[in-house]
Amino acid sequence: MAKRRVVITGIGTVNPLAHDVEGTWAALLECKSGVNKNQLFDASHFPTTFCANVKNFDLKDHFPNAEQHKHAGRHCTFALAAGHQAWMQSGLGEYDKLDYSRLGVYLGSGEGSLDFDNFTSLMVDAWNDGKVDTKVWADLALERMDVYREIAQESNMVVAHIAGQFGAKGPAFNVLTACAASTQALGEAAMQIRHGDCDAIISGGAHSMIHPYGVTGFNRLNALSTRNEGFETASRPFDLTRDGFVLGEGSSIIILEDYELAKARGANILAEIIGFGSSADAFRITDQDPQGDGAAASMRAALADAKVKPEDIDYISAHGTSTQQNDEVESKAVKQVFGEFATKVPISSVKSMLGHLIAAAGATELITGIMAIRDQILPPTTNYSTPDPVCDLDYIPNEPRKAKVDVVMSNSFGFGGQNDTLIICRYD
Amino acid sequence: MAERRVAITGLGVVTPSGLGIDALWEALLSSHQGVKTIDLFDPSHFPCHAGGQIDNFSARKFVPKTYRKSVKVMARDIELAVAAADFAFKDSGITTHGMDGEMDIEPGRLGCNIGAGLICTDLDELGMAVNTAVVDGKFDIKAWGHTGSSNLTPLWLLKYLPNMLSCHVTIIHGAEGPSNTITCGDASGHLSVGEGARVIQRGDADVSIAGGAESKVNPMVLLRQLLLKRICISRNESPETACRPFNADHDGTVVGEGGGLLILEDMDRAKSRGAKIYAEMAGFGAACDPTGFDITKSNAGSLDLAVAKAMTEAKITPDKVDMIIAHGTGVAGEDICEAKAWQVALGDAAEKIPAVCITGSIGSLFAGAGGVEMAVAAKAMEAQAVPPTVNFTSAADGCNLNFSSEPRKCEINHIVTAAFSVGGQSAACVFKKVN
Repeated sequence: MAKRRVVITGIGTVNPLAHDVEGTWAALLECKSGVNKNQLFDASHFPTTFCANVKNFDLKDHFPNAEQHKHAGRHCTFALAAGHQAWMQSGLGEYDKLDYSRLGVYLGSGEGSLDFDNFTSLMVDAWNDGKVDTKVWADLALERMDVYREIAQESNMVVAHIAGQFGAKGPAFNVLTACAASTQALGEAAMQIRHGDCDAIISGGAHSMIHPYGVTGFNRLNALSTRNEGFETASRPFDLTRDGFVLGEGSSIIILEDYELAKARGANILAEIIGFGSSADAFRITDQDPQGDGAAASMRAALADAKVKPEDIDYISAHGTSTQQNDEVESKAVKQVFGEFATKVPISSVKSMLGHLIAAAGATELITGIMAIRDQILPPTTNYSTPDPVCDLDYIPNEPRKAKVDVVMSNSFGFGGQNDTLIICRYD
Repeated sequence: MAERRVAITGLGVVTPSGLGIDALWEALLSSHQGVKTIDLFDPSHFPCHAGGQIDNFSARKFVPKTYRKSVKVMARDIELAVAAADFAFKDSGITTHGMDGEMDIEPGRLGCNIGAGLICTDLDELGMAVNTAVVDGKFDIKAWGHTGSSNLTPLWLLKYLPNMLSCHVTIIHGAEGPSNTITCGDASGHLSVGEGARVIQRGDADVSIAGGAESKVNPMVLLRQLLLKRICISRNESPETACRPFNADHDGTVVGEGGGLLILEDMDRAKSRGAKIYAEMAGFGAACDPTGFDITKSNAGSLDLAVAKAMTEAKITPDKVDMIIAHGTGVAGEDICEAKAWQVALGDAAEKIPAVCITGSIGSLFAGAGGVEMAVAAKAMEAQAVPPTVNFTSAADGCNLNFSSEPRKCEINHIVTAAFSVGGQSAACVFKKVN
């Protein structure tokens, strides 16, 4: 039996630049920065005082029955809005023969944020003799904490809300492989369709770690840029002077569909997913494999799955976080896989403008790949000024570039050595 | 090309009723009640004091000597997964990077799918830092930003990322193939095993370690589950009977901790190396309930659909099912929804097929539950025996499944096991006897 083909029929996004796909794409081509002084909490005394947060977002602006999701967490509301855009574009809701038991949900969603003020004050109020007195803590917590606020932190609740909004009864998964999550979700979602487990699947990711413990965690790891003066240019992937990533937030949702179904219902096909690769560094929890072997294995697996050669790739949407290590390792891995073609294939990181959306990063970057195929133009790596001798590829510096774009590779690499690669192509 | 078949060739469990599958199996056969009064923290001011905790547990003896220092950056959930993985690989007879001797599988062909939950921060560890940022009796975000936070260990965040269960396991054992972390509550274990099997079927790995692990015995989880009204608060005097799934007086679950990991292997590979094959992973199905986001109502995540899909893939009808492992949280509304789902999927056969639920013995393991349930299913296939259901004496209204407080011997060719999450996801697997 031939493998079923997997196509993309709907896309939606909410991110630090815009609350829809067209607005995001326009901003990326205008080289705008989504980075700002942290507006979500007082970070003025943190090592990093800025981030790329979503601005002026209200789910009620996106669809009428937002009220039924009033207990959804912040990242979940992003996912619902992005999901609504993707669902409407796909037209699946209008198709009366859709079997909802074969409509799946496969997301890479992060955990929700803690009820910070309550949670933190409990640790202060119940502190006794060098530890939390769980008797006092229990008394106070049972009185102060809110059930909805707590349950919204479970990462499967985004899947639950998305399934509820669109009526999905098929397979429902959430993966949380750190920064690789939504790329992995999309890849495995595509496999669900190929294998025949689903006819259509709502995939993508959502995350917000812009809360005091999220920023603390990344600051302690020295993973965030501390360029507090000139924060607009802090995210500078592949530049010699890069000093860490900029924490972003948001959601991107992508509807995947069996090609035969999409064709039968006359859907507008945006692109086809032809390759997926996944690997583990199995190296260290703190560092990537320095030679990029794990990242290379993921890219090679995706190329083999797609049955395309390195020279067939027109554009690589990089993971490109703007950390010293990632950008060097990713460049090395590309050189390993692409050989003599490595310097010829354009590669850019839209994290230079969007920041790092963590679990939602991969899906957002895949959407930019889809738009690049549509408009035959490549988004740049902005804030690029000083070449790094160990990062010597064509990063599309500082301005978009017209190009023939038929086949796009998108990479995501997560903390702990999670590597995932997708390959999409133009559909005619 | 025909799809590859998947064998189950190794089992690893860590539970409140035993470490290792043989210990757990003996405990279940003797109706061991592993739930007791929690002493990992003082629960006395919570309405429930019972939990399924694992005593005197550390991952230190389950990791190679060279990796022991890494145990201090493992949250307890990670330690449980690491220990379960050690048991599973050793049971399978496959030599990995984590053992003495040469690795006998190509690293890139060894995959990993470990379901995980929302790992709770250690309140004392975080509290120690937080309390250095108190000004006039209140937490001060500025003080936290410039000094307080620096009292946390630099690797603090890495203790709590859910994918660190699989990351530590892949590092210890040298697994460089596809590696995923599914976080769908109690359904995570079955979803992970299902996906792990798919990865082998499609040829992206030859062996995969799959299942889940989670530690829920901590104040934060107990609080959350109490707020959800899912916890039994009537049995502090006899904690070992607090969790009574499907029993007439079931009135809630208890928090537990543990994990179960299965070694999944390409059938031809398993046969050619003469491996012990517990069963074939013959069918997988998953589904969800679109009303699951409403946490005020119990549901079983359309578990009937998941079971039906798994049986369709395994090409079996209800009359071929010899045993079921029900998930059974002990929450009355959930038990009733689950029993109904089994009846929808299995029809009249549902009342007759011998059924088992192990939650009463070990408590709710959330992401760790499914892996343990599936390991018990695989062991039952090998033993051709149905273990008793702990804390079961008579069926609750609306729960007409065939549980027994006694062990039973019968011919077992097919076992169906399924689980569902708060939030409405479900998954089911069919295990088939291999002759």
